[in-house]
Amino acid sequence: MLILVALLVIGGAIYWLAHRRSAQPEPAVRLGPAARASLPAPPVGTPAPPGDGAARIVVSGLTKRYGEVAAVDGLSFMVEPGRVTGFLGPNGAGKTTTLRVLLGLAAPTAGIATIGGVRYNGLPRPIRRVGAVLEGSAAHRGRTGHDHLRIICRAGGVPAERADEVLALVGLTAAARRPVRGYSLGMRQRLGVAAALIGNPQVLILDEPANGLDPEGIRWLRDLLRGLADQGRTVLVSSHLLSEVQALADDVVIIARGRVVAHGSVDSVLDSLERPSRTLVRTPEPDKLVAALGELGEHAVVTPTPAGDVYISGVDAAEIGDAANQAGVSLHQLTTERPGLEDVFLQLTTGEAAIR
Amino acid sequence: MTTVDSPALARDRHPRTNPLWQVQAEILKIRTTKLWWLFLIGVVLVTAWALLRNGASHHYELYPPLDRIAPAERAQAVTQAAHANTYAGHATIAADMMTSGQFFGVLLAMLLGVLAVTNEYAHQTATATFLTNPHRGAVVAAKFTAAVAVGALFWLVSTVINLIVTPFYMRSQHFNVALVDWIPLRSVLLNLLAYAMWSVFGVGLGSLFRAQIGAVVTGMAVYLGGAAAVAVVFNLIYLAYHHAWVLAAPVLAPAVASLVMITPGRAFDHAPPQWVGLLIMAAYALLFGIVGVLRTRRREI
Repeated sequence: MLILVALLVIGGAIYWLAHRRSAQPEPAVRLGPAARASLPAPPVGTPAPPGDGAARIVVSGLTKRYGEVAAVDGLSFMVEPGRVTGFLGPNGAGKTTTLRVLLGLAAPTAGIATIGGVRYNGLPRPIRRVGAVLEGSAAHRGRTGHDHLRIICRAGGVPAERADEVLALVGLTAAARRPVRGYSLGMRQRLGVAAALIGNPQVLILDEPANGLDPEGIRWLRDLLRGLADQGRTVLVSSHLLSEVQALADDVVIIARGRVVAHGSVDSVLDSLERPSRTLVRTPEPDKLVAALGELGEHAVVTPTPAGDVYISGVDAAEIGDAANQAGVSLHQLTTERPGLEDVFLQLTTGEAAIR
Repeated sequence: MTTVDSPALARDRHPRTNPLWQVQAEILKIRTTKLWWLFLIGVVLVTAWALLRNGASHHYELYPPLDRIAPAERAQAVTQAAHANTYAGHATIAADMMTSGQFFGVLLAMLLGVLAVTNEYAHQTATATFLTNPHRGAVVAAKFTAAVAVGALFWLVSTVINLIVTPFYMRSQHFNVALVDWIPLRSVLLNLLAYAMWSVFGVGLGSLFRAQIGAVVTGMAVYLGGAAAVAVVFNLIYLAYHHAWVLAAPVLAPAVASLVMITPGRAFDHAPPQWVGLLIMAAYALLFGIVGVLRTRRREI
């Protein structure tokens, strides 16, 4: 009798603790009109999101402090479905912290991060809505890749056959029954992607997914993410490999010291750059061309290149062409060069990378 | 290349997460590593060793070799043997034989509980676990349940071995006690409770530590060293306060409590009755259960 009572007391207490939170279902956090108004405008050129925005990621006034240090400091941005969004920043900018708060792994100090208007912990079955590949996430080295996925399937209530499907999807079928111990870094990344795809989620969040992948793997990942975004899914990829993101992303969110420094479509961010574009000019008579430009009264800045060509900034290609025509100077090349994302990134974040 | 065409997902129509899935996943986690069957082999070995040791000591208790005992102690040995050779004495011996292997068996159950938690952090699988099920309380509750299930399996294997050996032992020692007699049966059932409670204790302990080795060492220290330390402390206190309860107080150590709980009669001189051991073990399991849930809910992954 006594045993029975003791068991009941222990079981009851544990059950109560475990279900205290779920007993009071958290209201789905839907942002009211006032909250929406305070959010940054959607990126330039973004099409209206399909449906009710169930796959839109909204980060609003997010702050995460560790003691005195604000890893994330009042961060606000939106990520739209049907697009690949690059999440960029130097080391220590707060990318991983932001993603961890978004995914309910860390609690924010202030602000809110939602997926389809709901906090991650409030999703009824997160595995069917959101897939994530995070740094510092791994599989038990003694388990096989197949077992690792089977456990996630079981916990998420997904039939175990789905493990085989996602293994095929990431090209790991041949290694599925081997312990993860023997996997290369690239294979482990593929296993992580497979785990993220188990629930066929509308939203994919990947933290530095290209780390450890060989060029072929990077290409594979790029094609996969592009394809998923083209199916209308939301894809958020953090990276410090800027060239990789430029080739892949439609939108970018660039952060430094826990704050957004640039946000919008890749083109709009490039356009917003303060540094003007420059024109590479190849001509047999550069001095005559410079003199002709001077006569136009333009603020042309001329920089010779070691190859004997000149970079001209301050005037556009049309004006250079006209001036050359009037002066009778022949042009062999006239190329407008725009700064790449790399330049924007460096310009926006120089001196911001810090050990914090 | 599409993730949409999935025959497996076409069959999935669950609107909400079911807490039972996590329990199944936790059991699968234990089953898909080598640890559990290495520990199970350990349970078999310690049970076999304990049967030998208990069998020998009870043989000398029942049939003391009087010609090799100092004359001064002969009378006491004869009294002891006479006591052991009553029905109650036989039943107590049967109970002891039927719970052979408990001391190290529950230690293994506790360590498995510790590792069920700390492995998540050591192997960085906690992220995947909490992404799949963000309800941390439900995850810890599932871990308690899975650990108790494995603890129960250890108990079952140990008890089956004891059940095979004990009748032969009783025949060899010329006595017979029905194993469904309440004294041995009660000990066997309380032994199951001990395995279950130490498993819960282990999961709770594992939740307290970030470092795996810290949790394992502390668990073993509490189990193996705790009893001795508590005995020393209370014996010292007894020198100052000559009260009998001071000598019963070592039961406060979890290892002593579980020994008191399963031992018919008195586990040691001045030992409190079985139910006190049970209550203290239940209190520890409850405390560590609560601590485990609270710690895991607050933790940043």
